[in-house]
Amino acid sequence: MENKAGAKTKKDAGYRNPVKLLSARMFRQNRGRNMVAAVAITMTTLMFTALFTLIQSMNENLVEMTFRQTGYDAQVSFKKIDPEQVRRLDAHPDVKETGESIVLGLAENEGLAGYQVEIRWGSESYARHSFSYPDTGRMPENADEVALDSITLRRLGIPAKTGERVTLEWRKDLTEETAEYIRADFTLCGIWEGNESGYAGMAWVGREYADRMTGGVYNTEGRILGQYMAQVSLYRDGNIENTMDLILKDTGLEGLEYGINLAYASEMGAAAQEMTLPAYFGMALVCLAGYLIIYNIFQISITADVRFYGQLKTLGMTARQLKKLVYGQAGRLCAIGIPAGLAAGWFLGLVLVPAFTGILGGGGRVSPHPVIFAGSSVFAGITVFVSCLRPARLAGRVSPVEALRRSDADGRMRKTKRGRGSASLSAISAMAWANLWRNKKRTVTAVVSLTLGFVLLSGFYAKNVSFDMEKYLGELTVADFTLEDATSADYIHGYDPQGTTLGDGLAGRLESMDGVEDAGHLYSHQFTWQMDAQTVENLKGYYTQEVLDRWGRYEADGPGMFREAVDKREAEAVVFGMDGIPLEAVTQPEYLLDGSFDAEAFAGGGYVLAVGPAVGEREEGSALPAPSVGSTIELEGNRYTVMAVVFPLHPVDGGASEQGAGDSMELHFILPSDVFCRLWPENTLRKLYVNVEDGYLGAVQEWLDGYMRDVDGSLPLTSRETMAGQYEAETRSAAVTGNAVSIVIAMVGVLNFINSMVTAILSRRREFAVIQSVGMTKKQLCGMLVYEGLFYAAITLAVSYPLSAAAVGIVVRAMVEGGFATFRFTLFPLAVCTPVLVAFAVLVPFFCFKDLEKRSIVERLRME
Amino acid sequence: MEAILKAAGLKKYYGKGDSLVRALDGVDLEIERGKFTAIIGTSGSGKSTLLNMLGGLDTPSGGSVRIGNTLLAELNSEQAAVFRRKQIGFIFQNYNLVPVLNVWENIIFPISLDGRKADTEFVMQVVKLLGLEKKLDSLPNNLSGGQQQRVAIARALAGKPSIVLADEPTGNLDSKTGDDVVGLLKMTGREFRQTIVMITHNPEIARMADRIIRIEDGRIVPQ
Repeated sequence: MENKAGAKTKKDAGYRNPVKLLSARMFRQNRGRNMVAAVAITMTTLMFTALFTLIQSMNENLVEMTFRQTGYDAQVSFKKIDPEQVRRLDAHPDVKETGESIVLGLAENEGLAGYQVEIRWGSESYARHSFSYPDTGRMPENADEVALDSITLRRLGIPAKTGERVTLEWRKDLTEETAEYIRADFTLCGIWEGNESGYAGMAWVGREYADRMTGGVYNTEGRILGQYMAQVSLYRDGNIENTMDLILKDTGLEGLEYGINLAYASEMGAAAQEMTLPAYFGMALVCLAGYLIIYNIFQISITADVRFYGQLKTLGMTARQLKKLVYGQAGRLCAIGIPAGLAAGWFLGLVLVPAFTGILGGGGRVSPHPVIFAGSSVFAGITVFVSCLRPARLAGRVSPVEALRRSDADGRMRKTKRGRGSASLSAISAMAWANLWRNKKRTVTAVVSLTLGFVLLSGFYAKNVSFDMEKYLGELTVADFTLEDATSADYIHGYDPQGTTLGDGLAGRLESMDGVEDAGHLYSHQFTWQMDAQTVENLKGYYTQEVLDRWGRYEADGPGMFREAVDKREAEAVVFGMDGIPLEAVTQPEYLLDGSFDAEAFAGGGYVLAVGPAVGEREEGSALPAPSVGSTIELEGNRYTVMAVVFPLHPVDGGASEQGAGDSMELHFILPSDVFCRLWPENTLRKLYVNVEDGYLGAVQEWLDGYMRDVDGSLPLTSRETMAGQYEAETRSAAVTGNAVSIVIAMVGVLNFINSMVTAILSRRREFAVIQSVGMTKKQLCGMLVYEGLFYAAITLAVSYPLSAAAVGIVVRAMVEGGFATFRFTLFPLAVCTPVLVAFAVLVPFFCFKDLEKRSIVERLRME
Repeated sequence: MEAILKAAGLKKYYGKGDSLVRALDGVDLEIERGKFTAIIGTSGSGKSTLLNMLGGLDTPSGGSVRIGNTLLAELNSEQAAVFRRKQIGFIFQNYNLVPVLNVWENIIFPISLDGRKADTEFVMQVVKLLGLEKKLDSLPNNLSGGQQQRVAIARALAGKPSIVLADEPTGNLDSKTGDDVVGLLKMTGREFRQTIVMITHNPEIARMADRIIRIEDGRIVPQ
């Protein structure tokens, strides 16, 4: 015994950190409470991880998408540069890599209409940074070799196999109609996967062939043959313009024109931020939900332990040490909850990844970036820390003497006088009601937490169900299937009004297929139109400086085109001839900006419809940039009365300008198709619309797929079903994340609710024993506890229903307004949750009571 | 003789108006260094309140307490806590043991909080005197009331404070142990020039003190 005591004295003359020791022991002591807290932290971390994953992948996808649209991922490009200048740039220490390319011309094979294929020589680096480096085979080395992408090969009808013969047709001078066509034969030496969202493909040829064509003459003004281009990769993404100017100065190339990749521009960051704004809002909500539960757990446990903290204070523990004790507990909880949340988040990520890959057709990807985990940990940690601030301060402020008097109350409990009558049901319920307010903070926090979950759930649900696919598709397509001429959307060469894509054979066969309900045709013709005085006035009235500024922001040439048109009183008129689906679509009452539509009179031929601007609500009497309704205008010698001004539905009047037309302001008009065909009989069908009975959709799609496979791979086809699927794929990730987060927030609320009820009961074990010892029956006690639970639920529901109704009726209604949604008021999630909540409110107190019953009254009376 | 503890016009009121309770109503008191003082009085007379005031656990409604050269009212709560654990040993009626710490850890807890090392030889001496040497690894829950009280006493003495404030330290002990404990308190008090202020109901025990102060209705009854 001496020995043992002796050993003790040597070992434990004092422990280095009593706060740490106490923290560890207390942590082990309160397993149940800690489990709840750890689960709360886990859920908070999980939500952060999900949101960070969403934000990061959105950013990445946006940048990736922009890279693919701009066609390269280097920071800087030079459209015209000398090989010698490239060498000087390459030698600069701030330049990571340079790539070079010589342009020869554009491939003009028949199958490539509407798709730009640039015949070029390129260095390996240039090809790699242009997403055009062969993944099968290699870059050309000999004069008779070519490397192409899969899209070009498909359009040319050549199997994607190296060694195949490829013939490319091109002209050395694009501006001269008479320039001779070169037909060059090559052997396919390399293939890569084509990029659907890119505007152009590359046809790489050998340097020898390029030099033979250019004769070593580069960058001749006005010619694309021999245009020498370069891309420069820098070490850093920030401040590209300054870095580049410095490099140019160092290399003596000041003034050399260069372009910065749009993907690196600051506008991109802004766009990304706009896209991810809802996710940041979600993060704020997660912070709040996490705060509500973690704060409540700590607040409850500190209120319960307040006596203990008072004792520690009497023993000389300072407020700072007490706070450290609370933070120590929080730290330990984080050490368990955060890794668990990250793991759970990672699993959720596995669920979300497939949802993400639907975006941007293959361009989308999601990477579990370490930043996501670091960020989630930091945010969850901050939430826990903030949640502990007040409870820790409370613990630090405990007065050593007051501590000895506390019970399950938050300190400002008022004594209520109760009548002496028997404990009837109403007395029991009155007691339960009073008990609820003994710890106001706890009750309020739990109710707020649960309400937050319910309101979010209701809001998300209402927003999701209000989305109107028909409305959305209505702006993208007006028919089940829309077929276009291959050049209809060829913004580079322009639309060919005598295109042959939609020959009579195709149109006739399609329209006569089984299940076709409805069809429609659209033709177009473009000419320079001398505007009448009234139209010029209307244009001036509509295009105020403000409207012009807005236009100029997304189309820099716009305001200039307007001024030129007004000054010269000249604009490009595009006259569409229509019948069937497109005409019906564009003359729907909601699309009539001015005037009214009389189908019979219109068919008579003396009338024309003018196409107005894409504006929503319009002030009565304000100007529209179109001829006035009722006025008479002359179009290529024929006079028409303007019947109405209609909304510019993209699936109807969208598309490229006609070949050879200058960059001028356009005004669109609509005539009946038979009138159109009489005036311009040589113009061929531009768009063909077909509506099909639901049962035949698959068959028609199959037939069209077959046609594209066997006859014309370049046929531009828009199918309503494909668009709907695409939309769902694009929004699935956001929907999944939104739902996941609101469900987890609701779960956090339920956890908070259960925790509050359980702790409220357990902390009063002794008190219950006391009232039982003076005569309350088991049944009455159980009844009282269930009443408490029901009151809890009733208060929560009483708050949740009006708040959810307000959130759905006001916020969601405002959010979906003007979008592709039809607002429908619904509180469906709340209706589903109500019985669940009531069940919890009965079951939780009941099981707590059962737990109490395990110990005798005497045992419980002895408890501290 | 030098007064180590000085209370002047000490008051503690609870409530307001009709329900005003005067727990302490103007107490003037001087206690000399190294003396053993017993405070006696009926339940609710204000004994415990006075002791809490003297130890700086509670703040008075009026008056002041001076320990040595320190005026307690001038300390903020942080400084008061540090002052307490350095200068005062408390023995509480309800022991106030930390349930998650074993006996040894409980005894040296205030010393550790202060970042000091215990004088183990001395502490072991106290432990042996109190008959706790076999219980050093036990948790408070596994001890009887008397054993817990002895742990609380050992804790109060372990840091060699200049003042020991004891609230009914023998209340839960049999009379033999009670006598031994008070004897021990007296002995250590003499050895380390400790000042001991003890509340007790037991007249036998009170008689062992150098001085007896009787308190009634919040006032000291003149002897």
